[in-house]
Amino acid sequence: MSTASVLVIDLLIAVLAAAGWLAGGAAAATGHRRAALGLGLAALVATLARAVTVVALARAGWWFAAEKVVIAGPLSLAAIVVAVARRTPAALLFAGYATTAGLLVTVLHGYPVTPGVALLAVAGVAVATGITRRSRPTLVVAALALVAATGFAIRPAPTVHHHSYSAAEVGTPTKRFTLTAATTTVEVDGHDVAAWAFNGQVPGPALVATVGDVLEVTLRNQDIGQGVTLHWHGYDVPNAMDGVPGVTQAAVLPGQEFVYRFRADRPGTYWYHTHEASDEGVRMGLYGTLVVHPAPVTGLDVTVPVHTLSGRPLPTFSQASAVAGTPVRLRLINTDNTTHRYALAETAFLVAAIDGRDLQGPTPLSRTAVLVPAGGRYDLTFTAPAGPVGLFVDGRPVWATGHVAAPPSGWPALDPLIYGTPAPAPWSGYDKSFTLVLDRGLDLHGLLPRYAHTVNGAADPDIPPEIVHLGDRVKFTIVNRSAVVHPWHLHGHHVLVLSRNGKPSTGSPLWLDSFDVRPGDVWEVTFLADNPGMWANHCHNLSHAAAGMMLHLMYE
Amino acid sequence: MRKAFVVSSGVLLAAFALQFVFAAVGAFTKPAGGDHSYRLHSITGTAVIPLLTLLTILFAALAKAPGKLIGLTAVPLALVVLQALLAGIATGLTDASGQTTTAGLIVGGLHAVNGIVAVHVVVAVMRGARKLPDRAPVLVEQA
Repeated sequence: MSTASVLVIDLLIAVLAAAGWLAGGAAAATGHRRAALGLGLAALVATLARAVTVVALARAGWWFAAEKVVIAGPLSLAAIVVAVARRTPAALLFAGYATTAGLLVTVLHGYPVTPGVALLAVAGVAVATGITRRSRPTLVVAALALVAATGFAIRPAPTVHHHSYSAAEVGTPTKRFTLTAATTTVEVDGHDVAAWAFNGQVPGPALVATVGDVLEVTLRNQDIGQGVTLHWHGYDVPNAMDGVPGVTQAAVLPGQEFVYRFRADRPGTYWYHTHEASDEGVRMGLYGTLVVHPAPVTGLDVTVPVHTLSGRPLPTFSQASAVAGTPVRLRLINTDNTTHRYALAETAFLVAAIDGRDLQGPTPLSRTAVLVPAGGRYDLTFTAPAGPVGLFVDGRPVWATGHVAAPPSGWPALDPLIYGTPAPAPWSGYDKSFTLVLDRGLDLHGLLPRYAHTVNGAADPDIPPEIVHLGDRVKFTIVNRSAVVHPWHLHGHHVLVLSRNGKPSTGSPLWLDSFDVRPGDVWEVTFLADNPGMWANHCHNLSHAAAGMMLHLMYE
Repeated sequence: MRKAFVVSSGVLLAAFALQFVFAAVGAFTKPAGGDHSYRLHSITGTAVIPLLTLLTILFAALAKAPGKLIGLTAVPLALVVLQALLAGIATGLTDASGQTTTAGLIVGGLHAVNGIVAVHVVVAVMRGARKLPDRAPVLVEQA
């Protein structure tokens, strides 16, 4: 059974246990003895059953089980001992409070386990018990635990040093583009849709270059109140060109402009988007494609950036013609917040590259779907057959060379970790290791408390930066304790996948910049710290990033 | 304190009524923006209602309400926690490409049922609070 399923089952059992004890206590207090006995026994069984799920989670990784063992464990034990030994309404209610407190810890601040959280849980149980029993001493205990917990909860804010990394000299531009961001209305499938667009179009202009070009892109903001920037997603530019407001540059406000210059020295499929108010900005249409060709294009080269604009899917269907024998490259780009499923029907194909990096020894695939994470890119190549071929996204046709019936949704999905031929690791020792545990939690930063998307129990801007030195070989482990997918995206670097859920990657070396960390997943990746600067490191479901799941990688 | 108990349970009921309005706001916001359109609903559900419930429990205890009524006052708190869990699990139960699944929709439906149950409990709490005698403290039976 997958770790994600065990997490859900454990949560459900915990809810049943807490509800059983509380309902049993209420039944006993109102004189329904038989109901109380039945509910109490059910709660006892549920509480004991959690031992099985918690052990299973601990085996999957301590991150998944820590608070369940250290905080909920003793509380559950106390619940069982008191309830079984005393069997009074108050005892059953106490068991209910104790199991509820354990459950709340998991839901509100599960990882890491801190003395503050443990004391708050104890204080909560003591308050509820004190009120139930009208017992002053218990309330005094609660007050003391509360004061101590507050003491532990106060922590200094992380300090972030700001260096400025000057842009390197890149030579005379050979390709110049101007992108003007403005509010506008675009037409999708005959409907007028309000949008924010570069040069009045969604997606923005397709930027195409050939290796050796020097790009100069002038960004102007006409009337986007929040401001805009350009981030070159997956293109590892020098820090000053990375387009993260407040980190590498100031947001470009209405009437202002900013010039980006960088060398096109890395062939591949990339995209650009605003990084200021990025959740709303990208959703509203401030994105476009960036393709760097290794040499002049031969054959058919099609870029398919998939996006959802005001609930309407882009791009709309387009038909091409390809003479049999023509080499075709489809560049699939996912600019949405969630994974898309692509299916290429009526031809065998290769996954030639992922995230702008060629795969080694890709083998022909057919009747296989590919799942492209938010922000990710897959390049599919094939030689045009005599009959028509069609590309479908989540069952919707987006590109075809003739009439093709939609493929069944049951095609298996490619697992890139076992695709292609392996190569020896470029390094085996590590100079630095980091672990990011992704979860949800209560965050009290700012005026309104929010149920944030958290990293190691904190939410942006309270997540301490990861600090590396130039030349470090960094190993970095990402654990997803939550119930939703987190497409992880590190700026300025590609990471090499080492393993997922303890199983080493056995296919082609995978150098990624966007990868889906599914619920219950543990990914180990590594990268070389070779691009000095201050880099965003965040979830590319941009609504999660806006709700706290964003930190920084800093060179010292 | 009886008055405070009555008022806070009334305000809690109003917050629950508004919560249904905010759910409708989320459902009818176009374009459907996920977390964004349900912002009012989630703030009310995760911050306003839990705080009001805690306050109501506190006033019930200070008003020396009988144990049963205090217990009833605590029920919405448990239901609110369950409510957040149901919402979280319903959102989490999606397939690989983030589409909703039947299981997710069933759990999502329970979110609505649980909300209706919670409202009825709050109505019962408010009625109980109103019936409390003005001054004479009620002795609590401990079984």
